Amino acid sequence: MEEKIRIGFYALTSCYGCQLQFAMMDEILHLLLNAEIVCWYMLDRDSAEDEPVDIAFIEGSVSTEEEVELVKKIRENAKIVVAVGACAIQGGVQSWANDKSLEELWKTVYGDAKVKFKPKMAEPVEKYIKVDYKLYGCPPEKKDFLYALGTFLIGSWPEDIDYPVCLECRLRGNPCVLLERGEPCLGPITRAGCNARCPAYSIACVGCRGAIGYDVAWFDSLARVFKEKGLTKEEILRRMKIFNAHNPKLEEIVNKVFEGVKE
Amino acid sequence: MKNLYLPITVDHIARVEGKGGVEIVIGDEGVKEVKLNIIEGPRFFEAITIGKKLEEALAVYPRICSFCSAAHKLTALEAAEKAVGFKPREEIQALREILYIGDMIESHALHLYLLVLPDYLGYSSPLNMVEKYKKEIEIALKLKNLGSWIMDVLGSRAIHQENAILGGFGKLPDKSTLENMKRKLKEALPLAEYTFELFAKLEQYSEVEGPITHMAVKPRNGVYGIYGDTISVSDGFEFPVEEYKKHIVERVVEHSFAKHSLYNGESPFMVGAISRIVNNVDLLYGRAKELYEAHRELLRSTNPFANNLAQALELVYFTERAIDLVDEVLVKWPVRPRDEVEIRNGFGVSITEAPRGLLVYALKVEDGRIAYADIITPTAMNLAMMEVHVRMMAEKHYRDDPERLKFLAEMVVRAYDPCISCSVHVVRL
Repeated sequence: MEEKIRIGFYALTSCYGCQLQFAMMDEILHLLLNAEIVCWYMLDRDSAEDEPVDIAFIEGSVSTEEEVELVKKIRENAKIVVAVGACAIQGGVQSWANDKSLEELWKTVYGDAKVKFKPKMAEPVEKYIKVDYKLYGCPPEKKDFLYALGTFLIGSWPEDIDYPVCLECRLRGNPCVLLERGEPCLGPITRAGCNARCPAYSIACVGCRGAIGYDVAWFDSLARVFKEKGLTKEEILRRMKIFNAHNPKLEEIVNKVFEGVKE
Repeated sequence: MKNLYLPITVDHIARVEGKGGVEIVIGDEGVKEVKLNIIEGPRFFEAITIGKKLEEALAVYPRICSFCSAAHKLTALEAAEKAVGFKPREEIQALREILYIGDMIESHALHLYLLVLPDYLGYSSPLNMVEKYKKEIEIALKLKNLGSWIMDVLGSRAIHQENAILGGFGKLPDKSTLENMKRKLKEALPLAEYTFELFAKLEQYSEVEGPITHMAVKPRNGVYGIYGDTISVSDGFEFPVEEYKKHIVERVVEHSFAKHSLYNGESPFMVGAISRIVNNVDLLYGRAKELYEAHRELLRSTNPFANNLAQALELVYFTERAIDLVDEVLVKWPVRPRDEVEIRNGFGVSITEAPRGLLVYALKVEDGRIAYADIITPTAMNLAMMEVHVRMMAEKHYRDDPERLKFLAEMVVRAYDPCISCSVHVVRL
């Protein structure tokens, strides 16, 4: 008998939505015939955090000192590390506060009280360990999991998506939330794969799959459109940062768009 | 032996939402200390949304928790609409309640079958139960899928719904989809009843039997449900939701990123399905009422394990309730999805019944932005009571095999259906 692929699902600080999405796929029961779950606390009491696995799925942002140690341990034990969801990849919506210091946040929430664990500003997993593959989304779509698991199980490698939500939105024939209704839709800068779920409901994209990679100038052109629509620099940055707070180039790009412009 | 302190710890409680542990310290005179260590990192949701646009904050709040994202979305929405002085039309309110029920059905099915049942059947994980308990897993998935599908249709997806917005919905399904929803709900009713009968047979541990103060919403319009403007306490006291801070008093404890809540600042209390049943049983109707009458001794106020069966009863109740709500909406069809909302300055408090119990959102809006936010989640309210019950269990079993004690302590915690991710976003300002 062939050996089963050993899988671990690990949670850092998050809403558990990626795991829930994973757990709630009916197909999982078939897929798991070919896999052994070594660690998955959300569903299994017999979980072990420090055993070797073939694939480690990590959900959540690194938000405590303990979690820094945990991700390092997971990396050591895993052949493939998959960062799952907006928290693990982009630091999550909890990173949306990067204009405020940890001390300020702590004081707002806990006052002068102390807790025995050490908190940190939320950060992406990649800040601490090498990540081999990413499943984007908040949460990722079920087909993202199926595609990734399917390709891993046949010994192949899932490919990245390099086009924006707009493309899927046009293919669906939705009216444009941005150009026709003037709403601050992030579709043009956001990685596709959701089949333009929100614009199809007539709702502006909040960018949960994160910015499209490969350093193309999407931010730049969208910032220009937003500016023409009357949004201030601060408003543009705030909205683009909901799911991209750790993007090092964002501020620089938006600043350029406003260079020499009086707000 | 003197002063032998033996800490019995579960570092990571399995089959709950979020990351937490139990620590039981035993000394020569018995149980010295019981702590629920909430080690999931803090996420500061209230603090990070201050100064942000109302719509953007409303897109972010549901991300507090995936198991009850619709509950977070809809409670935040109601608080925001109260703050700006907007009242949704009746049919919009009914559709929101159906969406909320989708969350209730999904969450209860998930908790009961996938998180609780394995303990009783001797499995570490529901994934291992498939071979022998195929029927149960199938029912779990059918009920879960129904809840998810309702959230897909009305909320845009099962986790982190975007299609509930200020003034109503971005888009509504067509009439045939709602009719289909009614059909699916009717088909699910026998499965919900099967669930109730199944859980009525399971043990409720007498070790944790004792008086409990229960808190629940006093539902609007006199129908057992989710929304209300008054909170009732099982000691007979009632208070308007706006006065929540006087009666649900939070404090920071050093072993937890989640705060603890105390009734009037003094005593632990419980929220959740059993609290709803205890406080509002007279408002139940239909098949759920009959099942309650037949098993009322099991649905008692004095045992946290009754919360499991109470959730099963609610699966029946909310399935029937959703059918009635769909009918209400269909009479008024076609329904306009949304109304324009004028964003004025103001302050609003909404407290609703999330799957796990009371969920508080208090929002202040200034110039279209969040100026103040306070969120108290059911798990944060339950933590103090949970520690009391884990202690009761430990006091009866501290001489047993530590593995047995750990298992029983975890079962107590699981009966509360804690949502730990939720609990660490609790805030005082």
